[in-house]
Amino acid sequence: MVDSRRGLIVSYIVRYALLGIAAVILVFPFVYMLSTSFKARSYVLDIPPTLIPKDPTTANYAQALGTADFARYFLNSAGVAVVSTFLIVLLSSMMAYAFSRFRFPGRRLIMGTIIIGLTIPTMMLIIPQFLLARDLHLLNSLPGLVPFYVGTALAFNTFLLSGFFETIPRELDEAMLIDGAGPWRRYWNLTLPLSKPALATCAIFAFLGSWDEFAWALTVLNDTDSRTLPIAIALFQGQHSTSWGLVFAASILAIAPVMILYIVFQRYFVSGITTGALKS
Amino acid sequence: MKKHSLIAAGLAAATLIAVAGCSSAASTNGSSGELSGTVTFWHAYSADSPEVQTLEKTIIPAFEKLHPKVTVKDVAIPYDSLHQKLVTAVAGDQLPDLVRSDIGWVPELANLGVLEPLDSTLPDFKTLAANTYSGSLATNLWKGHYYGLPLDTNTRVLLYNQEVLTKAGITSAPQTLDELIADAPKIKAAGSYAYADSGAGGWNVLPFIWSEGGDITNASVTKASGYMNSATTVKAVQKLVDMYKSGYLPSLILGDNGGLSTSDGLANGTYATILDGPWMYPIFASQYPNFTLHASQVPAGAKGSVSVVGGEDIVLTKASKNKAAAEAFLTYLMGDKAQLAMAKVGQMSVLKSLGSQLTSINSYYAQFVTQLKTAKPRPATPAWTQIDSILQDSVRAAIKGDKTAKQAMDDAATQSDALLAKYSK
Amino acid sequence: MTTPVTTRIDPLRTTRVAGVPRRRKTPFVAGAGRRTTLAAYLFILPGFVIYAVIMLYPTIQTVLLSLRDWQIAPGADSPWVGLDNYIRAFQDPVFLNSLVNAAVYTAVTVPLQIIIGLFLAVLLNSKLPGRVAFRVLFYIPVVTSWVVVSLLFRYIFASDGGVANWFGVDVLHVFSGNISWFQGRWTALFAICALGIWKGVGWSMLIFLAALTGVPQELNEAAAMDGAGAFRRFWYISLPTIRASMAVVVILLVIGGFNVFISVLLMSGGGPGDQTQVPLTYMYNQAFKYLDFGYGAAISFALTAIVLVISVLQYWWTRRQLREDS
Repeated sequence: MVDSRRGLIVSYIVRYALLGIAAVILVFPFVYMLSTSFKARSYVLDIPPTLIPKDPTTANYAQALGTADFARYFLNSAGVAVVSTFLIVLLSSMMAYAFSRFRFPGRRLIMGTIIIGLTIPTMMLIIPQFLLARDLHLLNSLPGLVPFYVGTALAFNTFLLSGFFETIPRELDEAMLIDGAGPWRRYWNLTLPLSKPALATCAIFAFLGSWDEFAWALTVLNDTDSRTLPIAIALFQGQHSTSWGLVFAASILAIAPVMILYIVFQRYFVSGITTGALKS
Repeated sequence: MKKHSLIAAGLAAATLIAVAGCSSAASTNGSSGELSGTVTFWHAYSADSPEVQTLEKTIIPAFEKLHPKVTVKDVAIPYDSLHQKLVTAVAGDQLPDLVRSDIGWVPELANLGVLEPLDSTLPDFKTLAANTYSGSLATNLWKGHYYGLPLDTNTRVLLYNQEVLTKAGITSAPQTLDELIADAPKIKAAGSYAYADSGAGGWNVLPFIWSEGGDITNASVTKASGYMNSATTVKAVQKLVDMYKSGYLPSLILGDNGGLSTSDGLANGTYATILDGPWMYPIFASQYPNFTLHASQVPAGAKGSVSVVGGEDIVLTKASKNKAAAEAFLTYLMGDKAQLAMAKVGQMSVLKSLGSQLTSINSYYAQFVTQLKTAKPRPATPAWTQIDSILQDSVRAAIKGDKTAKQAMDDAATQSDALLAKYSK
Repeated sequence: MTTPVTTRIDPLRTTRVAGVPRRRKTPFVAGAGRRTTLAAYLFILPGFVIYAVIMLYPTIQTVLLSLRDWQIAPGADSPWVGLDNYIRAFQDPVFLNSLVNAAVYTAVTVPLQIIIGLFLAVLLNSKLPGRVAFRVLFYIPVVTSWVVVSLLFRYIFASDGGVANWFGVDVLHVFSGNISWFQGRWTALFAICALGIWKGVGWSMLIFLAALTGVPQELNEAAAMDGAGAFRRFWYISLPTIRASMAVVVILLVIGGFNVFISVLLMSGGGPGDQTQVPLTYMYNQAFKYLDFGYGAAISFALTAIVLVISVLQYWWTRRQLREDS
């Protein structure tokens, strides 16, 4: 008895030590970035590196928010991400609803084409998408990003949601049907409210995707005013090659909302993945 | 040889201006109707630099006051991204109205057919062009037309950290490359690199090649073989190779993305000398106020001290939807007032009318003015960006020891010949 | 990553495809009447139109573009050149080199992400106080923008004053002088791989953690009673149970590995001298730097085809393995 308890304690210590090492490695770069963002230029590449900045300064943040206009890029990213997220969740849940609740001609064919979309890396399409955007006059336009963000995210979210909708008992639908509720009402008043966790998962990932998207925005946006955060940061680094403090102050501003979102909703992140994986 | 080509270009310039002037003598400016709309202007001024401050806080507001219905939207794009951004914009039909383009890119853009030939479209072209230095103006010439006007000029001179030199027991800046090489062991012993550069392209290595008497193409820019791989060019490259091997040159020249930049390294004493342009003065002043910058001419070789002409041209795109307002802003940027304002923050004017004032505006221009007397422009060809990267890769291969300097330059010449052949007709 | 849109670079979005519940088909709610058909189409239409225009049409266009010498000017004639662009690609040393780089990146990052991810998952798979906190921490790199972490790693691997060099030289003494990481092909790839692993372990950890909770606890306890050690229990009970998840993780990580883009673009830029190009950075250059859209499309399609073949082979192989076992 005593033996097994000691064994348990040792095993705990070993586990915590290993987890601690992993945590340090995985988190250290962020701490270092945070620390650098409070350093004045001359301390940035000091050897040995310091985690607690000498003469800490908020000048980098002031400059990022002030002259570098990061407040605007923040709003740009937020606007695009919110609109895209709304559309992604709405449209993919509608499609998923149709696939899980109706039998209709062409159902398998349409589902098949959507599954194809799951296997195509979006980057492969950047050249024809660029030409398409040119023909549709969606280049160099912030709202013009939205259809591309929505289009590339639909396949995955539809697939995810139709899986979830399958788990909602049909009997509930049938009860509403008997009461004379039409398809829209059943979708809106029954299926959606019951799917909140799945919708939240979708929304979070859709938001992150739009918020972080880089390659497409880099390619199509030109005007200073319409830049989103990722490209603003990359271009900012190009202009301040060694002003790392400044670059990281801007980066912190960009990742802060994501971190908050993640920590607040991490239950959804995990439950989205876990419930799915459990069922398979 | 190069000098002759400059004079020739200058003469051609004069003739063309005369012709252009005849065709559009009448000015459409003035009371013909008030200008309005937006003018988009792309440039590569560093963010937060005194240059961009002047542009956004002085020049553009002054222009907008003259033309209250016109809005100028300036877009700062880092120099390293600007070329690609321009090319992508060509593909997407998204070019802005005006671009402050590196002088080396004008032939390429003109060849793509996206620029307005200013000599036949801009009413004031003749007057404006006549007030600029012919060498700078010539960088706008492609197949018989001028596609832009020179906005500013610059060149690279030797910038050095006197403290490092003193520490190494050296009293004066090296006048020749051989002197620099002779000083290098002492500088190394004092814990610094003798010289640093961040790349091995034309902008970086041409001063050494030209000073030694080498070249990279013939005068008509149709052939690289016999120039890029000539004995003198190879000799100049070999000197850089030897310096690197002896540890006098940091790996920054090999495209080390993580390296200490030349300006930071010079200021903190890691590098004793660098080559750079006049814009560095205000940048050093704001980032390293305690550092005293010294300048001298590019270390001379067998043929003297020959640096590379840099600078920017302003071009008007065919895609511009607001040409009248764009032309007005272009003309304003070429005017004394704007040029003077920019000269105060490190941008050297190309206006003859301001020539005599330059050094009184900023005394540090003196070294650059002297250096410009012998400096040469990079070859004018649409293939320049590609040849530039071939040159850079080859010189780097030689420095790293993947190839001998001779091999590397032979390969570069062969590849460049193929590119030049495409545009030689 | 794990997000639909960033999958321009990272198809790991399909995270939970592995976990989409597969239930026995229950009957449809409404029959095949004309009204329900109409309703179904109305539900599908708006999303499908966007999907078709943004995804399906460009997919076909990629193939068509790759068979032409594409001229960028609107309305210009772009001649058909057959397979010329593909022939050129497979004779282009830079493209071949870029495939090798992507293969190296995949070969290094995938096994390490799986091993470390699994290891962390096993450590966390118990009633350990504070396990949620660790899980949250480990997943943070996954949700952080590729742009930010790429720049961050460039800073860490800076040659003068970078933490990586300080650690190697002054702390571990494994190298004698500062390494210029981004100046050589292999050192640059090392830094890029380090980022790939660092950013990815949290994701595989989470998938494995979810899969491990499916391991029957009674079986584990029974085995422990019989005196089986932790390692044996892991090897004979846990590992077989998570086999299917493992297969999915491998396939998705391999796809992601070959499609590496942002980290290379922002850390080495494909340099020095094209030595660290990967297929996507090279494709991007060909298209948006040299305006060779036809060639770029050919590279895109060739890469996708190669990755598809690898994935199908993996899928087929794991299916066979699983069938043999059962």
